Amino acid sequence: MLHPQSMAKIGILGPDTEMERTIGALHKMRVLHIVEHKKKADLDIGAPLAKASRLSDILVKTRSLCAALEIKEKIQPTKESFSLNVIEKEITNAEKEIAAAQQNLRDTEAEKKRKQELKEKLGFLQAVGLEPEMLGPFESLAVFAGQLADAAAFEVDLKKITSHYHLIHSNNPIALFVTIKKSADAQALLGQYHFSPIDLSALTDLKGSVSKNSALLEQSIRQLEQEKQDILASLESFRKKRAANWLKYVSYMEQELEKAEAPLKFGKTEEAFVIHGWVPEGKLEKTIGLLNKATSERLYIEKMPIDKHDKVPVELENPKAVRPFEFLMRMYTLPLYKELDPTFFLFMSFPLLFGFMLGDMGYGLTSLILFWLLKKKFPQARAFFDTLLFASLATIFFGALFGEFFGEEVLFGYELPHILSRTHQMMALLVLAIAVGVVHVNAGLIAGFFNAKKAHGFKKAFFEKLSWIVLQAGVALLALSLTKTLALHWSIGAAIIALAVVFLYLGEGINGLVELPGIFSNILSYARLMAIGLASVQLALVINEFAKEFFHAGGISIVWGVLLLVIGHVINLAVGLLGSFLHSLRLHYVEFFTKFFKGGGTPFQAFGVKTQGG
Amino acid sequence: MAVDINTGLIALGAAAAIGVSAIAAAMAEKTIGAAAVGAMAEKEELFGKGLILTVIPETIVIFGLVIAIMIIGMAGAA
Repeated sequence: MLHPQSMAKIGILGPDTEMERTIGALHKMRVLHIVEHKKKADLDIGAPLAKASRLSDILVKTRSLCAALEIKEKIQPTKESFSLNVIEKEITNAEKEIAAAQQNLRDTEAEKKRKQELKEKLGFLQAVGLEPEMLGPFESLAVFAGQLADAAAFEVDLKKITSHYHLIHSNNPIALFVTIKKSADAQALLGQYHFSPIDLSALTDLKGSVSKNSALLEQSIRQLEQEKQDILASLESFRKKRAANWLKYVSYMEQELEKAEAPLKFGKTEEAFVIHGWVPEGKLEKTIGLLNKATSERLYIEKMPIDKHDKVPVELENPKAVRPFEFLMRMYTLPLYKELDPTFFLFMSFPLLFGFMLGDMGYGLTSLILFWLLKKKFPQARAFFDTLLFASLATIFFGALFGEFFGEEVLFGYELPHILSRTHQMMALLVLAIAVGVVHVNAGLIAGFFNAKKAHGFKKAFFEKLSWIVLQAGVALLALSLTKTLALHWSIGAAIIALAVVFLYLGEGINGLVELPGIFSNILSYARLMAIGLASVQLALVINEFAKEFFHAGGISIVWGVLLLVIGHVINLAVGLLGSFLHSLRLHYVEFFTKFFKGGGTPFQAFGVKTQGG
Repeated sequence: MAVDINTGLIALGAAAAIGVSAIAAAMAEKTIGAAAVGAMAEKEELFGKGLILTVIPETIVIFGLVIAIMIIGMAGAA
């Protein structure tokens, strides 16, 4: 519980003929954390199995098809196996089918767009009252059609050039017929009036009236839209039919590829392979047994001594109730293999510090219900919400100690029983907060002492960690004798401090001396337990006071009062939860962990978990 | 309500203690927060460390609040 799972270092040596069987067995067992082999002169890195490149080829194709069909479901690990030939055939056929359907879709859309443009142009003709065959081409006439802002002013100027023209205009769209001889002049004039021409050349081929053509176009646009919907529907049914299968294919191929690429982590001679890795101590025997069975005992498996420089992978091991707090550990860093695993300490003190800060029965109950619902809604974040459920329980507990319910100490005329009132006994609360700090920090130092003792022996551990406790005792004695609380001469306290400083210098060198004031700012930092709690109570009280004013006013004001209560307390609860969570976490990470915890462990990742799940 | 000038000055002292320390904490946190988000964009696992580094200067404002409360306590005694 207080240490990561113990690991055994093993080496597996076998002939090439057994490699695939070995990989298969290891992949299925999911117990070996493979250490990547570094290339050496006498031991090269293994090459992927022969099927790897074909596998990854088909896998990429399948994935791109899934993307094309917008198959977004999460891939569930499958236990089925498939023939690669069958998959390849199906994927290649589907690829062609989908490509054809998509090409068809694009063509239909392009055609539909062309017809729509044509219809818009017909609309223009209708606006100026012309028929398609009136657009020419003519021998003696030039035709201009388009948008012109000020047709009346243009006509005045046009009359100065020629009188042989015909101008049709209905507001903006105009059509102008002018003799060929004057067309250049007319065009120049049109240019001055910011004329924007419309290309009607596509319309000259049309036979019959505008209205008849419009109706025809309308019909074929509808038809094209129908065709487009049909193609989309067929793609959709294709997707529905194949999605489940393809996801299985992807999962199968991912697993096979993981196996096929495993030799990249192995050491390799011409005829044999070597695997180095870590297996949880408890599973070692079973692993060796299964490996021997799978390969008819053709492997040489050896348990090797753990070297000081080995980076042992870390797998946390805690009772069920404590396990959610591993999430908070992972968010920071994993412990090293040799270190204490602080998850249990987190389990003990995180909810307490959280509850101390929020400390309100009303808020505790609300957050308990809230996180319980959220846990049901988002099962993937279960660990996170579990830690918060513990914290909510602690909040209710401290709420009972402080006698607070949504900030109020008096409910319907009854004063809630309390051990300490946060609003009225601030100084006592501050002293209590600092006392919690002293206990917590020193618990960290003691944990650090055991860690250091294990790593460097008693003497070093004593100087490094326990001298901090001696220092605190000295400062406390000095303060007590200076304030005459204790009938002692001040020099006794001072002497103990001096002794502690010497110890520290012996333990941590100059660094220790530089950090001397650090321990006190660490302890004082626990004043936040009081400060954050007080801020949240005061805010709750302000909300309640305002709401009471509204309630006394009566009438419609009561509605405002209720709204104010709800919104105010929701905001205060949100701020309180965030603040308590962050600060409780911070007190652990910064003030507590720095006393004993280094961290930086490599997570244990068993071969096969990536594609098959834990 | 007549309040003598000394009480007012004590209240202003308390306000300065919490106000100035809050500004200081905000300035420190601004820089750290920006850097932490930058680091997280590169490497998402740094969220935990980034979060912790970001709330480190919050201690300043908490000390400020404690001092402010102590000053107000003085006013009550005066």
